[in-house]
Amino acid sequence: MSEKKYTKDHEWVSIENEIATIGISNHAQESLGDIVFIELPSVGNSVKAKDEICVVESVKAASDIYAPIDGEIIEVNKNLENDAAIINQDAENEGWIFKMKISDSNQYSELMSEDEYKQFLEQ
Amino acid sequence: MPINYKTGIINEHKNVRNHSGIFDVSHMGQILIENNKTYLHKLEKYIPLQLKKLIKNRSHYSFLLNKDGGVIDDLIISNIDIKDKSYLYIVYNASRKKEDEEIFISCAPNAEKIYNKNCLFAIQGPDSINVLKNIIDIPNNMNFFDILISKYDSNEIIVSRSGYTGEDGFELSIPNESAENLITDLLKNENTMLCGLGSRDSLRLEAGLSLYGHELNENITPIEAGLSWALDKERLEDKNLNGNKILSDQLKNKLSNNKIGLISTNKSMLRDGMTLFDNNNNEIGKITSGCFSPNLNKSIAIGYIKSEFNTDNPIFCEIRKKLELVKINNLPFVKKNYKKNGSVYE
Repeated sequence: MSEKKYTKDHEWVSIENEIATIGISNHAQESLGDIVFIELPSVGNSVKAKDEICVVESVKAASDIYAPIDGEIIEVNKNLENDAAIINQDAENEGWIFKMKISDSNQYSELMSEDEYKQFLEQ
Repeated sequence: MPINYKTGIINEHKNVRNHSGIFDVSHMGQILIENNKTYLHKLEKYIPLQLKKLIKNRSHYSFLLNKDGGVIDDLIISNIDIKDKSYLYIVYNASRKKEDEEIFISCAPNAEKIYNKNCLFAIQGPDSINVLKNIIDIPNNMNFFDILISKYDSNEIIVSRSGYTGEDGFELSIPNESAENLITDLLKNENTMLCGLGSRDSLRLEAGLSLYGHELNENITPIEAGLSWALDKERLEDKNLNGNKILSDQLKNKLSNNKIGLISTNKSMLRDGMTLFDNNNNEIGKITSGCFSPNLNKSIAIGYIKSEFNTDNPIFCEIRKKLELVKINNLPFVKKNYKKNGSVYE
């Protein structure tokens, strides 16, 4: 699997064989607090980077999740339908939200590395 | 006061329901007003109680009313003696300090705001008495909404058996210099914890309690907010009370809106400001507070709905441009657990 990259909207992306796996960062999970519900995106939808594609509801607020890159949604993490709190427990592994077939790998390389994301959070 | 501490809103909420939790509500207003006939008469223009007849060492939930009977603020008012002098002790919302204090000072120029020198802590939950009793002297026969002066660190503190979570509990008004010691003492009990605004909101909502700025504002009367029980009915005949005519008319007639409890039928979250519709897409009401209920494991809400709407018909809530079915639920969502008459719990 490729290096994990991050967006300014606090999503993480990792890529393997042109399939991107996406979730929200551990930092995002911490600031949202207890997550109680996630409205998952629809499989088969083609989306563009920055499109709002699903919503995470925590006890504090609803938070939109954006597509980090262009592509087609090919799988969603069904486990989250019954237990969205998995994201609180393991945001950057078991708490993955959806997978996309990506169309432009350049968009991926433009995202932040883990170190760059850490610096971004400190700003 | 933060939204939550380390373990999160749901954990804090459950700890209060099952054991106890401590809220630092020092941001709230606290004022002492001399129990003097002239002052009480002036205050009775705004407060729908017979202030001259308040029983010593008891608290009352009440309001400041504007000339239309709308709620300027909701508050807790108590009659207590401090150092042999009789006072009204009033606790009011932080967001309404300016409006409230203008009224208090106009009625009683020497009213003494004490929130800069006294912290206010609420300890809430069925174990509150066990956490407190080794630290502060609490008489066995103290009931919900009783209030008294006790001692801590040789300082006098105001102790009331009250709170806003639907659970048994206490509020402690304590001089700043002793506040840290008290919290340290309370937290020695390993089943209690500090709790934040998030769980304070979900606990009061489950208990069906109104919050200023949500269910209550200057355009809503206590009767419209379903709180007519808190009004002294004799005062509604008294012309000295703001909005008395409007209020007594409202008591006799059908209201245009009713306060209701709602519960989500799926996992979607109901939030403040969302609009309610009937099955013909007509707007029938609005949500004023919504949250996730840790006790019911569903989203719950309080709102207002047109009284002409027949609540046997389905109700839909617009959530992110989709209409979701919601169900009416009697208030409160979670039964209150107050201490009354010795050891009997309601």
